Amino acid sequence: MKGFWEQTLFEPLRLLGRQALGALPGFLMLLVLVVAGLLVGWLIKEVLHRLLRGLGFDRLCDRKGLSSLISKVGLSHRPSYLVGQVVQGLMLLVALLAGLNAIGTPLTRNLVERFFIYLPHLLAAFLVLIAGGLISRFLGRSVLIAAVNAQMPSARLLAGLTRFFVMTLTAVAALDELGISRTTIIVTFAILFGGVVVAAAIAFGLGARDFAHDLLQSQIHPRRPEPAEDVMRHL
Amino acid sequence: MSEEILAETAKEQALAAMPVEIVAGIPSYNNARTIGHVVQAVHGGMLKYFPDRRGLIVNSDGGSIDGTPEAALKANLDSRSLLLLSHPLYPVNRLTLPYHGVPGKGSAFRALFRVAELVQARALVVVDADLRSITPEWIDLLVRPILERDFDYVTPYYKRHKYDGTITSSIVYPLTRALFGRRVRQPIGGEFGISGRLACRFLNGDVWSSDVASYGIDIWMTTTAIAENFRVCQSYLGAKIHDAKDQGADLGSTLVQVVGSVFSLMETYAPVWRNVLGSLPTPLMGFPFEVGLEPVPIDMERMLSAFQQGCRDLMPIYQQILSPELITGLSRCAALPAHQFAIPDDLWVGVTYDFTLAYHRRVMDTEHLLKSLMPLYLGWVASFARQTERETPAQVEERIEKLCLVYEQLKSYLINQWSLRTGEKRSQS
Repeated sequence: MKGFWEQTLFEPLRLLGRQALGALPGFLMLLVLVVAGLLVGWLIKEVLHRLLRGLGFDRLCDRKGLSSLISKVGLSHRPSYLVGQVVQGLMLLVALLAGLNAIGTPLTRNLVERFFIYLPHLLAAFLVLIAGGLISRFLGRSVLIAAVNAQMPSARLLAGLTRFFVMTLTAVAALDELGISRTTIIVTFAILFGGVVVAAAIAFGLGARDFAHDLLQSQIHPRRPEPAEDVMRHL
Repeated sequence: MSEEILAETAKEQALAAMPVEIVAGIPSYNNARTIGHVVQAVHGGMLKYFPDRRGLIVNSDGGSIDGTPEAALKANLDSRSLLLLSHPLYPVNRLTLPYHGVPGKGSAFRALFRVAELVQARALVVVDADLRSITPEWIDLLVRPILERDFDYVTPYYKRHKYDGTITSSIVYPLTRALFGRRVRQPIGGEFGISGRLACRFLNGDVWSSDVASYGIDIWMTTTAIAENFRVCQSYLGAKIHDAKDQGADLGSTLVQVVGSVFSLMETYAPVWRNVLGSLPTPLMGFPFEVGLEPVPIDMERMLSAFQQGCRDLMPIYQQILSPELITGLSRCAALPAHQFAIPDDLWVGVTYDFTLAYHRRVMDTEHLLKSLMPLYLGWVASFARQTERETPAQVEERIEKLCLVYEQLKSYLINQWSLRTGEKRSQS
């Protein structure tokens, strides 16, 4: 009976204890690294924030339109503070990964390895999102100003749609880069996008038949009188 | 050594025509219908008013496809005094239509300055190729102040309908006057008299590869002449009537090209204009006789609606450019009924100055910035048209004079704000 308990309970517990004791320095190292990462990250964030603010980084971002983009995505901090926060987060991440590596089990090593394989995709997706945000903002504003100057009543709607389509494309590209449900997303997007275009074409054909007729006719036989301000000499 | 911009044959022809005292330049692009008349008027003017001085007429063409150079050649009575050039067009010149309708006008002027330098001309006169109202007297009025009164730069002074040239009346003239302290009524007139000395200065300018050369050569010349203290005068030419053909770029692009050039020149000459307050009159040559003017149709309702839509839809953009007081003022104007609609002078001047500051601080893409000015400009035109509906030309000119004085009075605001950055401006307001 004693041999039974020894074999089924105490021996595995002893083994677990030995393993736990063996891994303890690793866990302690993880803890130390995370705490150090937090402290160093906080320090770097503060220094970087002050340094960038002093160098006029916020003003540069104002001029380039980045501050406005940041506020549009719902972040209320100044760009110099956000850069500091991002660096702090990266420091913590590096400390965490170093700590996990220090534990030295196959599981943690595998986890760290996979993270580094995935990292370029993560960065690429992040860059795609940033570029898409900037492009959508630029194109949205171009469409808005052009439509207002052409006195189109639905100028804001057109600008909003432009931004929406560019951001949708961006999101699809970013998710594709991350490899998340790649096929499903592309098929869904193709169906939705195609559907919208077909719906718009049908709506235009049915609802604006006369307008389409007039538009084509004006292209072939332009007889439309010029609006008064278009014949003015402004200079 | 600077690059040679004239072809070898053109250089030889120009040198063969020496000695030349007066060069008359005609930049052209698809002006076959009018260039004959312009060449004849220029030729007649030279013979009638300067019979003892040798002249050379230079047509610089930007690749016309309607036989403009051939038409010019046909019209000239003495082929030895006509030089035909074709100024180079870069891809960007072909893609973007400039407001004056002559692609590569900057290159044309550069070639004309080079010819004037080469033949050591004392005076260069430049006239548009699409003029219907040009007479031989124009050559006398543009050249004589240079040859006999030592002026360096002669700008035209036209009698214009009150609704004609509203960008000039609302922005270009008052702003240039307030900045540099000289009252030049038509800074972008299209016809100019230039001394040989100033032509050499223009030729050696570092502007030829920039947008200013492509789209703002007229205002660049005027600003350079005033800011660098060359002797400037105006000559009264009567009425200016163009050929009724495509005028060039649409209004939005015109604003980008012209106002963008003025704003860009503000950067170049900031050290000059920041020390100038008030303004001085510019001498006017010629007799200011009365002329009949063609009526200019104006659609006030459409302009007002453009202004109201701009104030509604472009408000997020204006909030990045204008101070809160101006935003409130514009919103108040947009809410007025049509029969009471008016944009006060101080509000309009504040808008213009804040746009110059936004351009200076690169608050946003410059094309977006300048195109977003269009609804506000149309609002000013509607307000101006409503207020001057029953006014005589003299009363209208008085009204423009008052606007100019407001530009001058509020210039201290511009000077103070110019050196501040966006963040500082934000915290001040």
